[in-house]
Amino acid sequence: MFVPTLALAALATLQQTDTTVAVRPGSRLEIDNFGGEIAVRAWDRSEVRVHAEHSSRDRITVSADGQVVTVKASNRRGMTQSVDYDITVPKSMALALSGTYTDIKVTGVEAEITAETVQGEITVTGGSGYVSLKSVQGAVTLEGCRGRIELSSVNEGVTVHGCNGDINAETVNGDIELTGIESSAVDVSTVNGDVTFEGTFRDAGRYRLSTHDGDVAVTIPIRTNASVTVSTLNGDFEACFPVPITGMTPKHRFTITLGSGSAKVELESFNGDIKLRQPSQTECRGVTKHKDHDRDDNDDQY
Amino acid sequence: MSDNWTTRLSEYLDETLPPAERHALAAHLSGCAECTATLAELRRVVAQAQALEDRPPRADLWPVIAKRIGAGQVVSLEPRRRRLSFTVPQLLAAGIALAVFSAGGAWLALHGRRPAGPVFVAGTAAPPVWLSAMQPNYDRTVAELRGALDESRRSGRLDSTTVRVLERSLATIDTAIAQASRALALDPGNLYLNQHLAETMRRKLDLLRQASGITQRT
Repeated sequence: MFVPTLALAALATLQQTDTTVAVRPGSRLEIDNFGGEIAVRAWDRSEVRVHAEHSSRDRITVSADGQVVTVKASNRRGMTQSVDYDITVPKSMALALSGTYTDIKVTGVEAEITAETVQGEITVTGGSGYVSLKSVQGAVTLEGCRGRIELSSVNEGVTVHGCNGDINAETVNGDIELTGIESSAVDVSTVNGDVTFEGTFRDAGRYRLSTHDGDVAVTIPIRTNASVTVSTLNGDFEACFPVPITGMTPKHRFTITLGSGSAKVELESFNGDIKLRQPSQTECRGVTKHKDHDRDDNDDQY
Repeated sequence: MSDNWTTRLSEYLDETLPPAERHALAAHLSGCAECTATLAELRRVVAQAQALEDRPPRADLWPVIAKRIGAGQVVSLEPRRRRLSFTVPQLLAAGIALAVFSAGGAWLALHGRRPAGPVFVAGTAAPPVWLSAMQPNYDRTVAELRGALDESRRSGRLDSTTVRVLERSLATIDTAIAQASRALALDPGNLYLNQHLAETMRRKLDLLRQASGITQRT
């Protein structure tokens, strides 16, 4: 079955489609690409340009119905082949992008973005309002976003850089890395991976960084007002600066109060270490250490 | 959570405190923002628990499950007020768990499906109340979702790579659940472990639901 399919595909030549349509302010782009790539860039025109490379057996249609611009590939004989889209949209155009075997890349759009794929990476620079990026087998990367952010992968990492807004991110097998973050609400977790956070902790903000198998490393700016709760069962705690450990509740959990303690920060790792440092500290020799786990190293008690 | 009244909030909420202590706690609440906030959180959790039976499933896999089990077998539970006597850590963990399990578990009051074995390890101590209460519905929901995933794999609706990724991730989560369960068995009152187990169990359901959603899309 595989060989004839390849042979048929070889018979079909590669074709390009290039279409531009005018759009009204506040319009949204919707596209579902089964396989291939969706690349979206922004420009200052009130038009959407769709450039697609696809099999000559497939047909690309761009339809503008009211506030929604829909891009579709179709094939009279059944499923479409792989399609690579290069799309240019107004900066303020909201995007709803989805695929199955599809990489998704967005640059420069300052509007709501939802992107979902099964096997493929998602990379977004920009986004504003609600930004939701989800992949199963692919890394998710977001940079320079403002708004409410929801990110997830299953088998790869999640990376956020230079974003401002509420952040919710999770993966199962992969690291979560947040840098240059300005947020009042952060909730991120992985099951098997490290969590890294570097950003501000706003007064009255809430932050939760959690992993099961992995380390949690947090950079805390000087003059932060935060109540930091540290929970680790089989790992160690280390701070690269002096911290007052208070509220030592039963084992495996204690609290550090920085400044007025206004922000609530929860750092959790079942099997890994938790480390705090300040922005200027490139190397850490562990000024404050705490170790109360029940096992010796390499003792797989749990 | 640093004063002596914290551990009595659950009783206060359940109206089981002796009158004198109740009045004393009420007076304390008027001047303690932390206890007031914790009490508000507990009220929210209890409200969720009381609404448990009435919630429709939110997951898009419900039609699949309903078809698999036969809609006639679904029994709608009689709405009734629940009295919960959990500890504060258990209530907070239950809050996480309820948000997830109520989506489909309570509606799966069905017969004929044998749930998977309990997560909690027998031997050391009894599992927390919230876990005992949730486990049957949770196991049933997981079993149904797993069944749907297996069927998708057999029918070819999910390709082998995606299935492999999902299976690997489920195995990772199962290991985490097992480790957290064992640790909780040794320390049932540990707030972190209660929350961590509930969160990890939620993660498993979410992943299975996600798998179901992918199947439907493809």
